[in-house]
Amino acid sequence: MINASKRETSMRSKYRLGIDAGGTFTDFVLADQKGNVRLFKALSTPTDPTKAIENGLKLISEELNESPASVISNCDLCINGTTVGLNALIQHKGGKTGLICTAGHEDSIEIRLGHKEDGYRYDPEYPSAVMLVPRYLRRGIRERVISDGSVKTPMHEEDVREACRLFQAEKIEAVAISFVWSVLNPQHERRAAEIVREMLPHVALTVGGELYPQIREYTRTSTAITNAYLGPILKRYVTAVDAYFRALGAKHPVRYFQSNGGLAIGQAMTDRSVYAINSGPASAPQAGLYVCAPFKQKNVITVDMGGTSFDITLTKDSLTNVNKNIDFLRYRIGVPMIQVETLGAGGGSIGWIDTMGILQVGPQSAGSDPGPACYGQGGTEPTVSDANLVLGYLNPDGLLGGRLPLDLEKARKAMRRIADPLGISVERAAYGIYTIVNNNMVNGIRRVSVERGYDPRDFVLVGAGGATAAHITSLAREMGITTVILPKLASGLCAFGQIISDVKYNYMATAPLRLDHDKAYRRITTLFHEIEAEGIKHLKADGFKPTDMVIKRSLDMRYVGQVHECTVEIGNFDISEKTIVKVIDAFHKRHEELYTYSERHNAVEVVNIESTLYGRVVKPKSPKLGKGATLSKAIKGHRKAIFRASGKSERVPVYDGSQLGAGAAIKGPAIIEEVTTTIVIEPGWAAKLDASGSYVITMRK
Amino acid sequence: MSRTTAKSKARIKATSSKRAPAHKPDRTVKKAPGRVKVDPITLSVVRGVLETTQREMTLTLEKTARSSVFNLAHDYSTALFNAKPEMILQGQDIPIHLGSLIPAAKAIVRFFGDDIREGDLILHNDPAYGGSHAIDLCMYKPVFYKGTLKYWTVCKGHLTDIGGPVPAGYNPNATEIYGECLRIPPVKIWDRGKPRHDVINMILTNMRARRDQEGDLNALIGACQVGERNLIAMLDKYGVPTIDACVDELLAMADRHMRSLIKSVPDGTYVGTAILEDAGHGFGDFEITATVTIKQDNCHIAIKSPPQIPYFINSYEGNSHSGVYLGLMMFAQLPPPYNEGLYRCVSLDFGPKGTLCNASEPAPHMNCTTTPMETLTDAVRLAFEKAMPSKVAASWGHANGLNIAGWDSRNDEEYVTMVLATIISGAGATPQQDGWHACGPECCFGALTSGDIELLEYSYPIIIHRYSLMTDSGGAGKFRGGSGTAWEVEPLDKEMTFITFGEGRRIPAVGAAGAKSEMIESKVGRLELNRHGQVQIIKTNVIDKLQPGESVTNMNPGGGGYGDPRERPVDKVVWDVKNGLVSIKGAKEDYGVVIKDVLSLEVDKAATARLRAAVAAQ
Repeated sequence: MINASKRETSMRSKYRLGIDAGGTFTDFVLADQKGNVRLFKALSTPTDPTKAIENGLKLISEELNESPASVISNCDLCINGTTVGLNALIQHKGGKTGLICTAGHEDSIEIRLGHKEDGYRYDPEYPSAVMLVPRYLRRGIRERVISDGSVKTPMHEEDVREACRLFQAEKIEAVAISFVWSVLNPQHERRAAEIVREMLPHVALTVGGELYPQIREYTRTSTAITNAYLGPILKRYVTAVDAYFRALGAKHPVRYFQSNGGLAIGQAMTDRSVYAINSGPASAPQAGLYVCAPFKQKNVITVDMGGTSFDITLTKDSLTNVNKNIDFLRYRIGVPMIQVETLGAGGGSIGWIDTMGILQVGPQSAGSDPGPACYGQGGTEPTVSDANLVLGYLNPDGLLGGRLPLDLEKARKAMRRIADPLGISVERAAYGIYTIVNNNMVNGIRRVSVERGYDPRDFVLVGAGGATAAHITSLAREMGITTVILPKLASGLCAFGQIISDVKYNYMATAPLRLDHDKAYRRITTLFHEIEAEGIKHLKADGFKPTDMVIKRSLDMRYVGQVHECTVEIGNFDISEKTIVKVIDAFHKRHEELYTYSERHNAVEVVNIESTLYGRVVKPKSPKLGKGATLSKAIKGHRKAIFRASGKSERVPVYDGSQLGAGAAIKGPAIIEEVTTTIVIEPGWAAKLDASGSYVITMRK
Repeated sequence: MSRTTAKSKARIKATSSKRAPAHKPDRTVKKAPGRVKVDPITLSVVRGVLETTQREMTLTLEKTARSSVFNLAHDYSTALFNAKPEMILQGQDIPIHLGSLIPAAKAIVRFFGDDIREGDLILHNDPAYGGSHAIDLCMYKPVFYKGTLKYWTVCKGHLTDIGGPVPAGYNPNATEIYGECLRIPPVKIWDRGKPRHDVINMILTNMRARRDQEGDLNALIGACQVGERNLIAMLDKYGVPTIDACVDELLAMADRHMRSLIKSVPDGTYVGTAILEDAGHGFGDFEITATVTIKQDNCHIAIKSPPQIPYFINSYEGNSHSGVYLGLMMFAQLPPPYNEGLYRCVSLDFGPKGTLCNASEPAPHMNCTTTPMETLTDAVRLAFEKAMPSKVAASWGHANGLNIAGWDSRNDEEYVTMVLATIISGAGATPQQDGWHACGPECCFGALTSGDIELLEYSYPIIIHRYSLMTDSGGAGKFRGGSGTAWEVEPLDKEMTFITFGEGRRIPAVGAAGAKSEMIESKVGRLELNRHGQVQIIKTNVIDKLQPGESVTNMNPGGGGYGDPRERPVDKVVWDVKNGLVSIKGAKEDYGVVIKDVLSLEVDKAATARLRAAVAAQ
């Protein structure tokens, strides 16, 4: 998919700019037609995201010696909408929303299938989820479609009108409509939508069966509500960003990055706001594949460790793990999102002793305020960064070229808070924090790999984010992974992922069919053609030629009687008596990978179908690194570092990454300091800097 | 997310505070004689591996099982045992399953003695061997390492059917266990890696819906194998001595933790009594009494219950373990992970054999995981409430629910299932907050899920007309109990049999710390049978048939409240009224809040103050 080398035509504009608004920093990655890629960082401004963009553009403008207007008028823009969508959901500050649903089922989003997350808990302070739509704004309509798609009770239109009158009086900003079995017969939802548009022309309207046409009423209703709730927020954001860039002379519409791992235009983002919510880390897989392309690696696990969290993604044979129907921030979301496993494990994660007496790390974090103890801003708890400093991994003179000074004594003092009760030395405690946080991360990596039926040893590990590089060889070792790719650009890799991504839309349909007759095959084929026609229409409107469109198909399948499906990727062929054998065989194999067994004698059924449409965007040229200084010249000094549980240290060379050029080969133990990250090469590993700008770190035989 | 952080921060504070808490656990790692010394870092890592292993087993069950009770409702559990066998990790699945796995695993090992071989798989459901109720099938896989038995991977799940005269196992007319189900004492279904097809076939032949059963059996086996794979990898990596030492230490730590908590309870004897209502057997209401004796860091719990009866609510010893442990944990509120070490300082006495909570053959028992288990849990909880009144949460709504069966003409197949959506009750309020809506029953504590209604209608020929919260169902209190649920069903095109079970249709969930409701009828469970426009209310357990065009609504009780309802802030009561969780009548009767305008919900402040003061004076 992302293989740029096959279609080496140049970008349509002089620049392409990716903007990734994170919690602390907003990253800007600017690529030009020559293949230069630059990284800039500005502090995030959550209350007014355009402010951070303005600050970033100022930095870019200074560096290029070109006015912001000049840069932007020659630029393609790719931005993520994470911060606004995510914050609105975390802080419950979305638009005031009303729900129109089937009478008798007004409470499905509050019943939440009758369970608590994470199994049972005795914790008396564990709160229930905050409802995005309170009960009095969830209005039941007398209507009913049943499981064969037929109408049991025709819709009482006066009920819809009455709901609209209530919504008018309550000054509702957004409406979600979701009826039972609308996926098999959309006529009631469509008519209700007409009435809402007529009576409430200015509200953001989401129709469940259109947004997420798949079986599962609770998921669909919850997804529709979340989408409606975020709609007004995303619309304000997109309008502001679009206007800002238009005023600067942007020639092409801004593209927004979505949680499905692709770009979309602003209109799609406001109509399908739910696709914005976890878009930040979702570009990592694309970036991972891109940096691995020179090494012909298509099996990639990306890990991104920042200040408070650790994000993991997995891509096998260029296909990235996707989640559907998951609880995200306590809300059930159906639409496909790149599977990003997020743990509370970052540089600021705190080491503590639990009530059983066991040492744990995270999920709580010292954050940026007060930050790790070694930052000297009042933090006293021992954090991962403190441990890394005590272990000699981080430069005691400070990070970011000395702009962020570190205090080793404060780190050691903090470490005593766990060392003393456990009766161990400060060094061993530091190594303990390092080991446990790594172990937490390894267990997280299992969730995207082993739990999905993949053996992590078949993958390369790609490091992203500022804090990852100090842990990367250790993580690889624990997972049995022998090759690590660490781009010099690691700390801005997600922003980079955005500028090398394609436009991507998902289209779905539900088709509960047993795979044993010709009629079923024809129905599936017809549905594929229908949803794809719609997708092609959207991509055309976005300026894509048919030759730049790519379609990928998948089926959600299961054994008759199961209720959980596995997604099976299939080729773009029509389903028939002949081809069905291939499809069913692929399903058996997938089931076996996932769950250790298959049941080849048993009947198989399809539940949902999905087509993903891509509009291919020309990629920027990959960077080419020149020859650097000799190794001995690149050494900036030595320091003592600890690589053993005993706490014993050894003297290791420290390299200045900016002095290293293509082909530089370094044997561990060693430390390489880049401006935005510090790479720890453990004993037994060796790093080689590739011309494409990545360190290839391998386990020595 | 912020909640976790705040909570965890609080924990750190506690551990780093200079003032030693009253029950500060002893954190020094003990070195057992002749053993490898446990490194605290490795210990933490090993615990993580065990948790991950259990999680992956659970995931396998969820994703591959067939019957809806299993895969939609999560009515399954997984656990890991060492060779002894002691439970070294209890999954966060269903509480009712897990306490009973402790005596069950021991019964299995006793039964086979030294005839446990590599590659064996053992199946079991019989309550006479520590099982809970026979429809929960347990699978045990001994895990060998270099020829030595090291662990057991165990899982348990509620099947669609277990044979016997009534579909789905619940037979209110059974007077003996022989009239309920197929009993499976410990039996090898794999012998040294070889499946015993004859035995498996014999078992499956005795059950309805064979296709589902076969799939569920495979799911259980798959989960055990996933667990085995991970445990062996763990031993490969760290070596047997290190892992043994870590596992022993994890058990010892749990022991020390529970002891330190028990020690913080004043020494004494505390008695809790809960009433088990007569749900149709005709023997009248029963009392179940728990006597908790605390002596330093030891806890003895003695249960007194009436003689067993010829009705399906007798609880064998295994199931009663679960009931008592749940009551204990509702008090202890310890964070996971859990293992058997927690219970070393707790001794149990279920009373003489042949009683309701210590049943013996041939007592029928199928309803025991909810009834009388929840009443037993309440008795234990009430005893602890006496010991430490500020620490205990209110009772949750008890389960009363439906099983359905019939013919699916869409696929020409028989169908049968327990409908877990019908047992979703309200949670009890806690000293800190309102009870959760719709996450009971008490015996499952929020771990069950009810399944998506479209998936249910796809799987079974039914129409679900209603699945909703119920007005005035949460117990009144300063903190309100969670709302119960109503589930209304109509058969699609053919006659349907329904069987009801449970109780909680007359006595509402017990509140805590002075909570009390005036409106009782709306807070208890009941069944509404709607035939030709006539509604009949049923409060006992019945077997009946339903035709298309008729419907039945099963209503589940709300949770108990916490604290005096007159102390509930008026604006919270009004918000509940606005959202239909409390009626205007309920606001007045249960909370003493007088609303004078039905539309604006304006409160008559003077009348409210008068009413609240008058009740307080009583």
